[in-house]
Amino acid sequence: MSEHTSDETASDAMGDTGSDATSGTVSEVFADATQMAGTGEVMIELEHVDKLFGDFKALSDINVRVGKQEVMVVIGPSGSGKSTMIRCINRLEEHDRGRIVVDGTELSNDLRNIQEIRRETGMVFQSFNLFPHLTVIDNVTLAPRNVRKLSKRDAIDMGMALLEHVRIPEQAKKYPGQLSGGQQQRVAIARALAMKPKVMLFDEPTSALDPEMINEVLDTMKDLARDGMTMIVVTHEMGFAREVADRVLFMAEGEIVEVGTPEHFFTDPREERTKQFLAQIL
Amino acid sequence: MTNAVTWARRNLFRSPFDAVLTIVFGIVGLFIIHRSLNFIFVTGRWDVIRVNLRLLMIGRFPDTHVLRIAVTVVVLAGWAGLLAGLIRARQVRAGRVDVGATRLSWRRVSDVADRLWLPAFVVLLILMLTSTSGPWVMAIAAVVAAAIGRLIGPYVGRLPLIGLPGVLLMVALAVVPVILFFYVVSAVGFDEWGGFMLNLFLAVCSIVLCFPLGVALALGRRSTLPLVRVVCTLYIELVRGAPLFVLLLLANVALGFFIPSNLTPSTATRAIIVFTLFTAAYMAEIVRGGLQSVPRGQIEAAKALGLSPVRQMGLIVLPQALRNVIPAQIGQLISLFKDTSLAALAMGLFELLEVSTIITSQGDFRGQGLIGETIAFAALLFWTVSYTMSRESQRLERKLGVGTR
Repeated sequence: MSEHTSDETASDAMGDTGSDATSGTVSEVFADATQMAGTGEVMIELEHVDKLFGDFKALSDINVRVGKQEVMVVIGPSGSGKSTMIRCINRLEEHDRGRIVVDGTELSNDLRNIQEIRRETGMVFQSFNLFPHLTVIDNVTLAPRNVRKLSKRDAIDMGMALLEHVRIPEQAKKYPGQLSGGQQQRVAIARALAMKPKVMLFDEPTSALDPEMINEVLDTMKDLARDGMTMIVVTHEMGFAREVADRVLFMAEGEIVEVGTPEHFFTDPREERTKQFLAQIL
Repeated sequence: MTNAVTWARRNLFRSPFDAVLTIVFGIVGLFIIHRSLNFIFVTGRWDVIRVNLRLLMIGRFPDTHVLRIAVTVVVLAGWAGLLAGLIRARQVRAGRVDVGATRLSWRRVSDVADRLWLPAFVVLLILMLTSTSGPWVMAIAAVVAAAIGRLIGPYVGRLPLIGLPGVLLMVALAVVPVILFFYVVSAVGFDEWGGFMLNLFLAVCSIVLCFPLGVALALGRRSTLPLVRVVCTLYIELVRGAPLFVLLLLANVALGFFIPSNLTPSTATRAIIVFTLFTAAYMAEIVRGGLQSVPRGQIEAAKALGLSPVRQMGLIVLPQALRNVIPAQIGQLISLFKDTSLAALAMGLFELLEVSTIITSQGDFRGQGLIGETIAFAALLFWTVSYTMSRESQRLERKLGVGTR
């Protein structure tokens, strides 16, 4: 661990595992990931979810519950299955076993069902994936107009409001290629929000950004969390996790290794793998 | 002067080897230019073109119905102008063109001149060669019609037509060329058409038809349904494996075995069918390449937004795929246009190349070796159209910003 965490917690954590791991709400470790934060109502539930890529087990027996208005940050080394997990939630990957329920709707192979869930879950990608042939405002209004059947005028009004929310209304008529990475990612967030989703999934949203642009995107995400959005965020931004997350999930090799409050992770991680990982990135 | 000398020294005579190259290719170049100019202005006997101009342009189209062609050309010009104005108005309203660029300015005039100088020059050349006033009247009427269409186009585009009236307008605009076609063909059967008109018509029909078919085949080849995939792949590979000339011959000869003679389409129709089916197979592979060039992330983003599979394809993937392969697509269409000159040898159609060779053996011109003149004229017409298509495709690319993303 580096200077990022204060001296006493670092030595404390390294020296004695789990001495005061469950002391109060500040630093809490959970027995498993089904013990959720938020309002107490379940928004997303994964039960015994397995995902195979050929013989490789990308996810094995994942059990997670995310509460309404909860912000859950997922960390872990690359290849640990954290992206795969959130991509299973909106069926960009198909899980092989187990149950995934989003806001009371269980994900099945029925296309209508899949689309219903996709409408309720916004996703933000590492590489933005804006549509390069459409202007910024068209990117934002495309899905509301075509899926939610909003009129053009209503969609544009809403789109402009969202662009103001992410603080780039003046870029509305430009094409994505004319924007900086940070601006593009904020447009991508606005685009996902335009569908009025109940959940937002973030797949390493700042990993492809130049360092000076990371904060503008994180600030937008913080605004969103403050507004009560349910969020699952795969990220390496520990500062963000510490400030915003209700819970942090550490994954490795397709399994959930450790769950706890951010304080727990930064002061007193239990598992050896967690410590190793945190030592590498902090 | 010293500037010119230093420029020449730097660019043409930098080293002894450069100097030798410059001198050798300079001599070759000058020789070619000299011979060409000599052929065009001195030795060439262009009477054969002047006398047969009509045959070259419209073949043996009967006198009594020539007016229909003139009417068609004029209406088509007005229609094209109207469409151009309408599209422009839409783009301005959508904010894709800045309003300053719509005002009449020197820049715009020079832009239009830059686009049109070649076809305008060739049309003028042809008009100069005519011996009657009819073509002049038609040309002037066409220009006037195009101008009027272009001027009223924006107003039509600004009409508050939403829903059914808007759709009706679109349908009406789309139907105009079809009506014109039947207007001409009802008087003079397809097989009596000829000359360059026939080449243009074969090409335009095939281009319009092969494009959707090619896209459909490309999508079919990537379909998840095995039967569709196999059929499309088989079709593409079979057609691409056969020479166009063979397919044209086959359509001419072998179709009779399969279709009862009273149902057999006219020769020109068959030519269009073959050109369409042939080019569609190539188009399909070009479009498939375009589809593969669209990153996976685009589809994932479209899926994540809840777009249906049809909309994912129609709104996100296809527009990008088609844009990415504009140069290859236009190349294929240019190739199709030039291949219409095969229609004579394979199917006996009286198209431009056929006319160009036949007229050299007319009474007055027989045995004078005028094939050079007539072929040069045919080449000029083919080149003009091909080059214009190529230029327009580059313009389209720039406009859609391909390669700048």
